[in-house]
Amino acid sequence: MRNAEHGNRTSKGTLALSGWRQLIATLVSAAQGLLPLLLAIAVLLVLFSLWVPQGRFLRFDNLIDLAQQVSVNAILAFGLTLVILIGGIDLSVGAVVAVAGVVSVSLLTPAGPVVAFLGGIGIGALFGLFNGLFAARTLMPPFIITLATMLVARGFALGFNESRPLPVGEEQHLFLSLGNARWWGWLPMPVILMLVVFVFSTILLHGTRFGQHLFAIGGNREAARLAGIAIATHEVLVYVFCGACAGLAGMIHASQLYSAEPAAGQGYELSAIAAVVLGGTSFSGGVGSVPGTLVGAIIIGILDKGLNQAGVHFSLQYIVKGGVILAAVWYDVFRRRVKSRQA
Amino acid sequence: MRWYTVGVTAVVLAFWAGCRSTEQPSSDGVRLFGVSFQTMNNPFFVELNEGLKGVIEARGGRLITLDAQWNSLKQKNDVADLLQQNPSAVFINPVNWEGIKGSLLEARRKNVPVIIVDAPVSEPDLVLCQVASDNFEAGRLACESLAKANPRAKIVILHLSVNRACIDRVEGFKAEMAKHPGLKVLDIQEGKGSTEGARPVMRDLLGRFPELDAVFPINDPSALGAISAIEAAGRIGQVTVVTVDGSREGALAIQAGKLHATVAQFPREIGRIAGEKAYDHLEGKPVEKDIKVPVKLITKENVHEILNASKK
Repeated sequence: MRNAEHGNRTSKGTLALSGWRQLIATLVSAAQGLLPLLLAIAVLLVLFSLWVPQGRFLRFDNLIDLAQQVSVNAILAFGLTLVILIGGIDLSVGAVVAVAGVVSVSLLTPAGPVVAFLGGIGIGALFGLFNGLFAARTLMPPFIITLATMLVARGFALGFNESRPLPVGEEQHLFLSLGNARWWGWLPMPVILMLVVFVFSTILLHGTRFGQHLFAIGGNREAARLAGIAIATHEVLVYVFCGACAGLAGMIHASQLYSAEPAAGQGYELSAIAAVVLGGTSFSGGVGSVPGTLVGAIIIGILDKGLNQAGVHFSLQYIVKGGVILAAVWYDVFRRRVKSRQA
Repeated sequence: MRWYTVGVTAVVLAFWAGCRSTEQPSSDGVRLFGVSFQTMNNPFFVELNEGLKGVIEARGGRLITLDAQWNSLKQKNDVADLLQQNPSAVFINPVNWEGIKGSLLEARRKNVPVIIVDAPVSEPDLVLCQVASDNFEAGRLACESLAKANPRAKIVILHLSVNRACIDRVEGFKAEMAKHPGLKVLDIQEGKGSTEGARPVMRDLLGRFPELDAVFPINDPSALGAISAIEAAGRIGQVTVVTVDGSREGALAIQAGKLHATVAQFPREIGRIAGEKAYDHLEGKPVEKDIKVPVKLITKENVHEILNASKK
């Protein structure tokens, strides 16, 4: 989490791995920064294990369920972490979930699962490319650009099949396994995909020069430009990555629901942003980590599941979630100020 | 960090306690039921929930009610959360009648009976039974009453096409239309089944079709949205509104002369029947697969029935 300092080191190559030792050092320092959040998870687990009747909360298959339920939000949030880290925002991810779903499902029958999979990722990346080019090449704020893309993507999704859900055929085993398969009978496929994206984006952000440059851009854009970092290229790539993550999440979503819904994903951008912010990524850019985001997504997942299983009225669930997000971010800001005073 | 050690110890202890308690018999005598609604932002589902809760609590059971907020994935997660708690039965009101399949398969794997309320699903074999209003008949009655009031109506339909119940209503409406050649549908648009969703759509339709003089929004909330758009356009009294639901809000709109007719459903009755079917099944009695709850046309003549019933 506290690794903005790495961004200050300028370097020549971009995607070259800056060394395992550094990746590990970064992760150790990130883990230390995450201690309060891990403690919060511990407290929540204890709370719900006592609250949910007959100790059903901490059972193995309930926790596996939890991991599966977190996966779509976490994948969206990993992509968004990079975007928010460089001082941007992407509001279009929820709508891209719907577009990627309908595009991939409608490609399934005519073109087969491989083309459908690439099509889903591709359409997500395409919307990302669009966002990235506008963010890098114009002076428009990313909030407005991606708000517009969100509407365009939603309209595009609704244009399919007269806005009705598009069912996935029974025979599409490969596509249906994306959301429903369980490896060795217990490990859900969405969890594996989430871990793959997690490892990839952790290495990308915390283990490569490219990642260091992102911290530099987010910390001080002007300084990064003067240091010779190609800001536009980095920015476009980050948005493309975020769009591709949303594309993958959209296909998992469609697969889990045995159908692509044009109206799917409304408000998903907000849950993903909540996970990123809970995980300690600063909205003003330059500070953040991918492991933090994973922990943030898990906390939201535990709250959703625990409050559901404890039988808390749904109206109260909203209030509790809002309160937790506010408290966590307030604490994070507070702690950071104390730290900077000590320094 | 000492705090951290305390946290880890607490989690380990909790796990231990969790594992121990699973060895005990699975129930403390109270039967647990769960219900997942597509939305609770509609008095229809609030009443359905009350009917269901009445039956279950009268027999000493406990009901967990969850709101999917029109989000299919949230509904899938909600149902998974319910299934983890070994419920005696789960009631589902699906957001997406295709998308619920994964949840139905999971319930079957865990041997939990599922009763579908209000909106049918595409895989009836996976559920114990479906309890719903006779939606086809409701659409038919709405059209019949419109044809009586305005035999040459130029109609727009505000649909909610992901929802099977609404598809049935529109099919019933169209089936009845075939008997009245004077009626004509100008356009079918998505009204999202809600007041805030229907209002802007209706406003645009009024602008697009000056000849428009009737509208069939598929439920009371979207009818209220349509009425508010008609009022804003200054065309109240010129556009005949017929709908399906029979909520108190709809009845009040009939009394005020803004709504021509609504076909009443009886959500409390649907909830009560669904709850009783669940207990019938648990007691080993056979249960019919498809239960249709009758509907009733409400106009100015009999609107007091709804208003009196909702007062108590």
